[in-house]
Amino acid sequence: MQDIVILALNGLAWGLIIALIALGLSVIFGLLDVINVAHGDFFMVGTVLAWVAVDVTGSFAIALVLVPLFGLLLGAVTERIAIRPVLSTIVLTVVSTHGLGLMLQEGVRATFGATPRRLLAPVGGTVTLPGGVLYDTYRLVAAGAAALALLAFFAFQQRTRFGTWMRAVRHDRETAMTLGIPVQRVQLMTFSIGAGLALLGGVIAAPITTVDFRAGIEILPTCFMAVIIGGLGNLPGTAAAAVLLAVTEGVVSAVLDPSAARIVSLCLMSAVLFLRPHGLFAGARA
Amino acid sequence: MSALSVNRALTLLLLIALVAAPPLLGWMEVDFWLVVLTEILIWGLLASSANLLFGQVGLLSFGQALYFGFGMYGVAIGIDRFGLGLWPAMGLGIAASLGMAAVAGLVAVRLTWHYFAIITVVFSLIFYFLALRLKPITGGDDGLSFAAPPILDWGSLRLTLGDDATQYWFVLLIVVLAFALQARLRASALGRAFAAVREGERKASLLGIDVLRVRWIAFVIAGGLAGLAGALFALFGRYASATHMYYTVSGEAVVWTVLGGAGTLLGPAIGAALLILVREELSTVWEHYPLIVGALTIAVVVFAPKGIAGGWNLMLARVLGR
Amino acid sequence: MSVLELEGVSRQFGGLRAVDGVTLSIGSGITALIGPNGAGKTTLFNLMSGLLPVSSGRIRFRGQDITKLPAHRRAKLGMARTLQIKQVFAGLTVLENTWIAARQRHRPLDPFRPAANDRATRAAAEAALETMGLEAMAGRQAGSLAYGDIALLEIAMALATQPALLLLDEPVCGMSPSETERTVARIRTLSATTDVVIVEHDMDVVFGLADRVVVLAEGRVLADGPPAVIAREPAVREAYLGEDEEAA
Repeated sequence: MQDIVILALNGLAWGLIIALIALGLSVIFGLLDVINVAHGDFFMVGTVLAWVAVDVTGSFAIALVLVPLFGLLLGAVTERIAIRPVLSTIVLTVVSTHGLGLMLQEGVRATFGATPRRLLAPVGGTVTLPGGVLYDTYRLVAAGAAALALLAFFAFQQRTRFGTWMRAVRHDRETAMTLGIPVQRVQLMTFSIGAGLALLGGVIAAPITTVDFRAGIEILPTCFMAVIIGGLGNLPGTAAAAVLLAVTEGVVSAVLDPSAARIVSLCLMSAVLFLRPHGLFAGARA
Repeated sequence: MSALSVNRALTLLLLIALVAAPPLLGWMEVDFWLVVLTEILIWGLLASSANLLFGQVGLLSFGQALYFGFGMYGVAIGIDRFGLGLWPAMGLGIAASLGMAAVAGLVAVRLTWHYFAIITVVFSLIFYFLALRLKPITGGDDGLSFAAPPILDWGSLRLTLGDDATQYWFVLLIVVLAFALQARLRASALGRAFAAVREGERKASLLGIDVLRVRWIAFVIAGGLAGLAGALFALFGRYASATHMYYTVSGEAVVWTVLGGAGTLLGPAIGAALLILVREELSTVWEHYPLIVGALTIAVVVFAPKGIAGGWNLMLARVLGR
Repeated sequence: MSVLELEGVSRQFGGLRAVDGVTLSIGSGITALIGPNGAGKTTLFNLMSGLLPVSSGRIRFRGQDITKLPAHRRAKLGMARTLQIKQVFAGLTVLENTWIAARQRHRPLDPFRPAANDRATRAAAEAALETMGLEAMAGRQAGSLAYGDIALLEIAMALATQPALLLLDEPVCGMSPSETERTVARIRTLSATTDVVIVEHDMDVVFGLADRVVVLAEGRVLADGPPAVIAREPAVREAYLGEDEEAA
C-alpha cells in the first residue's frame, strides 16, 4: 500500500513537471501551428543548464531564475531563425525543429559531455506524510513548484493584456490581425514562453532525473500525448492529461515493472485516441 | 523538351551510374563508399514509405519504424530461429510488416493529421518497448545477430552478401524494383484516388471514393515498403535491434522525405542520400558533425520549402518556360 | 416515379432541430430548395448526400433504402453533389479532376493499369468538361482557375460520375452576372438528362430554372409547388422573400 502511495506521488510530481513542458508545447502548437519536435530538447537543455548553474554558483535558486530566462531568449532566437520562415507549412516546422533538436543535443554533447550526471536536490531528506508514509521532500517541493508555475501561467493568460492577445491569436489569427494585435510579436513571444516553460520544467526536474543529452528524445512522446489526449488547444486539459498519464504509469508500475507500465499506458492512450479522438475532455462538438 | 523527359533522362543516367557504381568506385579506390551507398538505398526506401503516406495520401506518419522493425525482426528470426533461407526469411519479414500494418491501419486511418501522427507514434512505441522486453524472441537490448544465408546457391553459381559488390547489386535490384512499383502505382487509378483523398477527402467521398479504404490500402502498402527496407537492413547488418524501431527513426524518414521533396518519386531517396553523405563526409573531420547536419536541415527547409526535387522541378519549369 | 424520397427526416444538433421531420418526394426536372438562412437547406443536403447521419427518418434513393449508407456508397448509386464552398482537387489538372470522378464506376482502385491508357474514362471525363464548356482548360491546374470556372468544374466532376440525381448547393453564389447566365444555361441543358435539386439564394435563378420550388423554414417544409404558385403564396413572401429583400 505504501509503495503505491509513493509511486502515485512520484507520478503526480512527474506529471506536474510534464504538464509544464506539455503546456509549452501546446501553446506553441495551438498558436503557431508548429509541431515542435525540439521541445523535449528544450527541457533537456534546462536540466543541463541547471546542473551547470549549480556547479558554478552553488545555488539552485540562481538556476531556477536564470535558466528559464535563458529559455525565453533561446525560444525567441529560435522562432526568428528556424520557425518564422517556415510557418506556412506545418510539416516544414517538424523538419526545421528536428534540425534544431539535433543541434541542441550535439551542442550539449560537445560541451557538457555524453556522460549522464545527477544533480543533488537542493532540499534533502524526507517528510512523514499522513498515514506514516515517508516521502522525498524535494519531490514534494518540485510538485509544488510545478503546480505554482502552472497556475502562474494560467493567471498570466487570463489576466494580462498579452495573455488576452495570445488567446485571441490562437482563436483566429486573421481577426486578431484586423483588431490591430501585433500577431508576429505575439507569435515570437509565445514560442519564447513555450521554450521558457520547457526549460523551467528542466530545472525543476533536474534533481529527480538524470541530466543527459538524450533526455529530450525520451520525454517528447509523453508530452505530445498529453497535448493530444488533453484536447488540442485545451490547456487545462493538457495539464490534467499529463498528470493522469504519469500517475497511471506510476501506479501500474507498482504492480508491473516500469517498462510494462509504459506499455499499458501506451495501450490506454491508443484506446483514448480511438474512442475520443478530440481529447479526453472535449465536449460534444457538432 | 518537356520537364518530364528531362527528369526521365536524368533518372536513367542515375540508374546507369548506380548499376556501374561497384567497378567505378573500385577504380577510384574508394570502395568504402559502396557500403555507404547500400545503406543510402535502404534508408531511401524507408523514406519512400513515409512519402507514400504523406506525399501521396496526405497522412503524416511518425511510425514507419514499426513496420521497418517487423521486416527486420522477421528476417532475423526467420534465419536465426527457424533456419530459413534468405528469400523465405525476407518473405516472412514483409508478411509480418504487411500484417501489422493491416491491423494498425484499421485504427489509424480513421484519424487524420495530428491524431494520425500521434497514434502512429504510440503504436510504434508499444512495439519498441515490447521488443525490448521479449528477450527470448527479439534478443532484447542485445538484438539478434545471424549469419546471412546465400542469395543464390546453384552449385557452381553461388552469390552471397559477403561480397560487398554482390550485396550492393542485390539491394539495388530490390530497391529499384520497389521504386518502379511505386512509379507504376502513381500512374494508376489507385494513384489518382490517393491524390484525390489528399487534395480533398470530402470531395473524394462525394464522388464515390471510399476514403477510409483508400487510406488503409496506402497504409498497408507503405507498411510493406518499410518492412522491405527493414528486411534489407537486417540482411545488410546481419543484425536486428530495437534501436531501429524507435520513433526517432520514423522521424528521420519524414525529414528525409521533406528535404528531398515530399510527393516526388525520388525525393525521399535524394533527401536520405544528402544527409547520409554529409554525415559520412563530416564525421571523419569533426566529431560534432550533427551540429552541421542540424543547421543544414534548417537551411534546406527555409530556402527550399519544396525540398530538393521540388525545387529542381520548379527551376526546370521556369527554364523550360512551362 | 420519384428518385429520392425523404420520410420524416430530422437532424438535431444538441438542442437545435436543424431539420425537423421533412417528408419530401423528389421527382424529375429541377427542384429548387429555398428558405431563409438557417432554414436547414444545407443540412438537408448533407443528410441526402450522406455527409451527416440523420437523427431520425428514412431516405430512399431509386427505391433503395440508403438511410445508413455513407456518402461514397450513395455516390456510387448515382447521387452527385457539389458543395457550397466550392471544392475541387486544386493540385491536379482540370482533366484529372473529372477523370477521377468518371473512373469511380469502373475498378476505381486498380493499382496496375496506367491511368493514361484508360481511353473510355478519358472520353467520359472530356465529355463532362465539354458539357460545362471547360474543354479548353483541360490541361490547367484546377487551383489556378477563376472562381466561376472552379464552380463549373465542380459541376463537371459531379456530372462525370453519370449521376441519376444531382444536388447543387448554391451553384452561382459569388459569380458575376455573365458567369451566372452561362451557368444557368448549362444547368438547364444538363437537366434534360439528369434530375437536379438546387439550393439557391438568387431568386431570379430559382424562378427562371425550377420546375418545382420547395420552401424550407426552421427545418420544416413551408410550401411546395410550381414556381408560379409559390411566388404568390403569402406565407412564403413573409417568411422568406420579404427577408431576402431586406438582406439584399
